[in-house]
Amino acid sequence: MSQIKMSEAVEIAMELVGKGVVIGEINNARNLRWANSALTTNGDTVDQSLSIAAFVDTPDGIASGISSGQVRNREDIAKLVEASKASAIAAGPAQDAMDLVTGPVHDNFHSEVIPPADEGIDFLSIQLGNVLPHGQFFGYAEQAQDTMLVATSAGTRMRFSQSTSRFELCAKSEDRERSAWSGQSGTTLSDVMVTSHADTVLRGLEHQKNRIDQEPGLHKVTLSPSAMADLMIYMLWSATAREAHEGRSVFSNPLGGTRIGEQLTQRKLTIATDPALRGLETVDHVVNLGSSSMSSSFDTGILTPRAEILRDGTLNALGSSRHAALEAKLPFTPLSDNIEVRDAQGSGSIDELAARMGDGLLITCLWYIREVDPQSLLLTGLTRDGVYVVKNGEIIGASNNFRFNESPVGMLSRISDAGDAVNCLPREWADWFSRARVAPVTVDQFNLSTRSDAV
Amino acid sequence: MSSHLPDFLAESALSVANDANASVAHVRIAQHDNRGVSTRDGNVENIASDSATALSVRVVHNGAWGFAATNELTHEGAADAARRALEMARISSAVMNEPIELADEPNYGTASWVMPKEIDAMAVSDDDVVALLQDWNSRVAKSSVVNHVDAHVAMGRDTTFFADLNGNRLTQERDRISAQLTAIHIGEGGFDDMRTCAPPAGRGWEYLLGKGWDWDHELAALPDYLEEKVKAPSVEAGVWDLVIDPTNLWLTIHESIGHATELDRALGFEANYAGTSFATLEKLGNFKYGSPLVNVTGDRNSEFGLSTVAWDDEGVAAQQWDLIKDGTLVGYQTDRSIAAKVGLDRSNGCAFADSALHTPIQRMPNVSLQPGSVDRSTEDLIVGVERGIYIVGDKSWSIDMQRYNFQFTGQRFYEIKNGKIVGQLKDVVYQSRTPDFWGSLTDIGGPSTYLLGGALNCGKGQPGQVAPVSHGCPSAVFRNINVLNGRKEASA
Repeated sequence: MSQIKMSEAVEIAMELVGKGVVIGEINNARNLRWANSALTTNGDTVDQSLSIAAFVDTPDGIASGISSGQVRNREDIAKLVEASKASAIAAGPAQDAMDLVTGPVHDNFHSEVIPPADEGIDFLSIQLGNVLPHGQFFGYAEQAQDTMLVATSAGTRMRFSQSTSRFELCAKSEDRERSAWSGQSGTTLSDVMVTSHADTVLRGLEHQKNRIDQEPGLHKVTLSPSAMADLMIYMLWSATAREAHEGRSVFSNPLGGTRIGEQLTQRKLTIATDPALRGLETVDHVVNLGSSSMSSSFDTGILTPRAEILRDGTLNALGSSRHAALEAKLPFTPLSDNIEVRDAQGSGSIDELAARMGDGLLITCLWYIREVDPQSLLLTGLTRDGVYVVKNGEIIGASNNFRFNESPVGMLSRISDAGDAVNCLPREWADWFSRARVAPVTVDQFNLSTRSDAV
Repeated sequence: MSSHLPDFLAESALSVANDANASVAHVRIAQHDNRGVSTRDGNVENIASDSATALSVRVVHNGAWGFAATNELTHEGAADAARRALEMARISSAVMNEPIELADEPNYGTASWVMPKEIDAMAVSDDDVVALLQDWNSRVAKSSVVNHVDAHVAMGRDTTFFADLNGNRLTQERDRISAQLTAIHIGEGGFDDMRTCAPPAGRGWEYLLGKGWDWDHELAALPDYLEEKVKAPSVEAGVWDLVIDPTNLWLTIHESIGHATELDRALGFEANYAGTSFATLEKLGNFKYGSPLVNVTGDRNSEFGLSTVAWDDEGVAAQQWDLIKDGTLVGYQTDRSIAAKVGLDRSNGCAFADSALHTPIQRMPNVSLQPGSVDRSTEDLIVGVERGIYIVGDKSWSIDMQRYNFQFTGQRFYEIKNGKIVGQLKDVVYQSRTPDFWGSLTDIGGPSTYLLGGALNCGKGQPGQVAPVSHGCPSAVFRNINVLNGRKEASA
């Protein structure tokens, strides 16, 4: 992309396509990975791409086609436009076609995109050099700066820049019989204190020296914010208006329509996405290229407000595009790229929550979560890197791991206590979803279905 | 990629690395082209294409890896990537245990390879792809039991160029294609679905026209399969004998053998993310992985294999080797640095990066369970089962971080009584522990039951990378496997 500025490329594409959505993306990222207390792989990458959703008028309606690639000159852009228009014509009228809404015009749309000067990864490598020799450590850190330029034929010219950082530290005992993990998401690795994470995981290994195996079955458990986030993110992805309306979702009402308005838990639990969530801010307007249950390129440019899927325990909304919302006769509910799970009746830290649990298991991480039955949204997965046995409110040791079979929807009614919502890194879904503020919860009769010998 | 540009860019990067006295320098230029078409009830939902090209430089300097990449395909961009890779090596060298060394590999000079195919899928028009999906949709949607039909086609091409300080200049091109159609029923008792079982393959457009898979038969039968499933009784949880069809067993192989025999996992390199492996190095040559009928190979040269190449992303030529022989663990998957680390003379060629923006890591070859020497059919296997379930098609999957405890579902589950299929069951979930499961294999199908399954979406590494991979296998019988009832698990 050296021969043409991204904002110019977007404007040329917009001019050539005439009608549609154009998105230019610039990504700068650096990463470090370590295992057995030594750095292993790393990377320093620069990536740019241009994507076009062409809207083409046909006798039966507006058609849409998508093409993405890298462009160096006007000729490259013209080829992409041509490909997107050809795809649109082949596709025929789009079911979700609607008039584009004019979104904001940002003053800095045409300003130079300057690569970040964040020195976080250098700072981190120095810290790692001090910490890694003092145990068996494994982990990963990345720092990314993403800039997105969005133009539509309705006049929208939006520019979003977002910094994302992620740090993970895992420690294992020399005999590999014990394992603990700690993670942190944010906007810069400069915030990461490796010694603090090392203290957390080494404390976990200490607790695990007293092994108290537990049998599979229905257990009272406290889920860490990370574990709760992983379950609620999957539920959020499944909370689509279209499928619920069609009768093919856990959120479908067996008598017709959806379960909106149904109380799913007695707790004052709220599950929301909110682009203005302080410290976890994200893109606050719809930016879409394709069509799906929850998205439509025709919605690009519309403001994304806070959306509460669950409000004080009651199913309040389901994610949708404008077209899906019309079909389902529900309010248009675009979702943003973060999650907040809070319980108005909850309080305290995870340690305080575990203490209030009395007797039970404290689960720090979930892993390999997959859907077993969409009808109930039954999910399966594993516990990982620390299942602690709590007796009379005290951690007295650690258990073996388990495979769980649970529905995040069915589980809501068995939440008996909760803590304060805190920022956390969802262990399972962090590759796709790292902005989470989630409360730890205590769940009765959590189905730890079978034993896992894994560490 | 134009014909002279890769050499020019490679020289730009390699000269910077050479001048800095890097002991190893690999330049990869990779172009990834992908197309996808999806329909919903016969209406096109998306037609999308993308093309991404980037250049990466990977060096060993001061004993440490350094990696950098760019999609600025100019002399300056390539040279800058080399300098940034050297800088990353400098950062890494401060925190390393032992210097990186690579297992030796012959030099192949200037060479090229193109995956054989009959019809170039990437050149098939969008109109033809849409017409095919709409034809499929109409065949299935006419059934009264089918309320919705989702269908999609995905195809991709990787064109890569590899150059190193030893003079290798290797160009290759490989394709893949995949299609799925799902029929959905919504009724008073809830909803259910049935999906085609055709695996993705390293083939051209001819695959979707019937070469390698009988689409006509499967699409014609799909509504009946779904109708029978909707009416089927729910399974009784407990211990059952299983006859597992290759359309399901490939995924169990992938998770419980494929990933477990990755040597980087066994050595802890994936411990923070994908996990480790129970199949640790001291078990090599003595661990009873399964019954004597279990013979598993790794390869990067199977015909139509999704992991098939001529050379891996470190310039290692494609090979085939044993992973499990007569039930015993005898081999691993390696790249050049892992091979050198454990004292092997040569890598078996499993280095792979899903784009030039990612560093190559050890990824899975085609991992396949070999058929029995006697050509027994699936029906022959079923005859030998008194009370069991015949499982067809894959669906849900999950396995723990050491590859012990797994749980799978499928598309169709046929109850077997006294050696005969008596009808479908539903809500079947099978769960086991890897060595127990493979140890319970008592009967195996012959070559006529062998099928190359696979997936396009195998995930590993940080930052995450996705790899296509194939797994061949015959039908096989497993005794006394734990079966759960998925519906009852949800209300446990």
